[in-house]
Amino acid sequence: MIDQRIFEDLQTKIDEETTVRDELHDIVQTLARKGRSTQAILARAHSTPSDKLQPVLDDATASIIAQKDEVARLRSVADKHPFYKYNGVWSRELQNLVASIELCAWLGGLPEHKGTDSASFMTIEDVGKFLDVPINLKEQDAFYLTIEEYLLALIAMVEELVNISPPQRLSRAILSNFPQSRLAVNSVTLGDYERPLRIGNFIKDLFSGFQLLNLKNDILRKRSDGIKYSVKKVEDVVYDLSLRNLIPKGGATA
Amino acid sequence: MGTKRSWQGQPVTMQSKPETQFSESAGPTISIFENFRNELDEHHDRRERIIKTSRDITALSKKIIFALQRVRATNTPIPANIAKENQTRLDQIQTLFTNVVPDLTGINAWRYRSISSGIQEYIEAISFEHYLRTQTLITHAEVCALLPAGIMVTEEDYLMGLFDLTGEMMRFAVLSLSSGNAAATSTEPVEAEMTDAKKQLPHLAASQADLVVDLRTMRAGFEELSVPRKYHMLRDLQKKTEVMQNSVEKVERAAYGILVRGSERPSGWTPDLSAPVEVEAQ
Repeated sequence: MIDQRIFEDLQTKIDEETTVRDELHDIVQTLARKGRSTQAILARAHSTPSDKLQPVLDDATASIIAQKDEVARLRSVADKHPFYKYNGVWSRELQNLVASIELCAWLGGLPEHKGTDSASFMTIEDVGKFLDVPINLKEQDAFYLTIEEYLLALIAMVEELVNISPPQRLSRAILSNFPQSRLAVNSVTLGDYERPLRIGNFIKDLFSGFQLLNLKNDILRKRSDGIKYSVKKVEDVVYDLSLRNLIPKGGATA
Repeated sequence: MGTKRSWQGQPVTMQSKPETQFSESAGPTISIFENFRNELDEHHDRRERIIKTSRDITALSKKIIFALQRVRATNTPIPANIAKENQTRLDQIQTLFTNVVPDLTGINAWRYRSISSGIQEYIEAISFEHYLRTQTLITHAEVCALLPAGIMVTEEDYLMGLFDLTGEMMRFAVLSLSSGNAAATSTEPVEAEMTDAKKQLPHLAASQADLVVDLRTMRAGFEELSVPRKYHMLRDLQKKTEVMQNSVEKVERAAYGILVRGSERPSGWTPDLSAPVEVEAQ
């Protein structure tokens, strides 16, 4: 005899999980919508010279803080459930937000939230403190920013700096027609010959960091493999400039 | 080979650069990433330990299932020799589970779901044993009680284990139907309200008829589950459902075949299980 209740109980559990996912999904959608605004604001950096960036950074900061409110809402719901059971629901959007934060900070925004250590980017501790979320929890089962999410966000930020579109949107053939880093190129167009060097040094610094990791055949490896192409793209711009003696002396040294 | 020069034109001395890049004092980025490396290594090591445990549990569970397929009767205790053989394996599985508990505590219970495949195979084994002994399904709570505290059995594990159970029930049913004690000549009354005329017709022995009915009930139960598609919950559900439907149909076909043509078959004949049933493909 098969007890029907077994299947009824399973259905109850499935329904409960669906309700939780619905609730989390709603918040993540709002986070994503606000995220697109942040990214649109940050994209204005491409057409703004370094010394006139402040209004862009102010707008970006306001938009990021609006996203931060959604993270707080997400955290309050997610904390009631096992973290890794539902992590997949928001992981991507949280990465996008952290990438925006890093980009904004790199351009000079959020200065009060960057730690005093001399890293050229916001550390995972800085980001955790800014977003008011724990980092790297080991035992306690609660909402937090994982190392993998943070590292993927850094990679996304590098890609935004040099504007490599993800492979799913652009094939390799089209990519090879984008010979140079977008922000580096656009900076030069705006008359800023120094920024490409800063970008180059920054990406090389991060690249040397990623080379220290023993990555398995996972998403982190696939994405971090792309950094070396970013390095090359920026170096191409720096090479073009140095060949023609266009880099200001006394600027950022290589 | 030319001299590598910096963008300012000065020759670059090459020999020292790779050294400093990886030394301890090479700057904040390096020490930050060294920290990440340690964390990620710890994660990968743990993950591999769990995958290995899961595989070992799967292998042992499969052996238990093979042994159980030698049982020929339901609703009776498992024969002593088979029970003894399997107890050794169950003890080994218990040890494997106990040893992996520290890697799966707290937040890690949902992080390392690679243990899931081992748990599902284990559920398949114990639910099969449970069914053979009692002709009932083991419940989720009963499964949890068999495992060390700290090993989480998700509803998904349980459900997927039950899906696989239908495959074992199918194998068992077909072998049992064809092993000679099919009921074509049985005189025991299966249903009290049968008329005399009907009684002369062949019918299945009670335990075999129960098996077919149980499988059908399970199929109905599985098919009734409604899982929203949007969230990729229970990813294997569709494939598992097809396999399960196939198993049920094989048993229904076999029962029909034995019943109608049973007396005509040569002794030792068993239905062909190698191909899927072709019910509608005539």
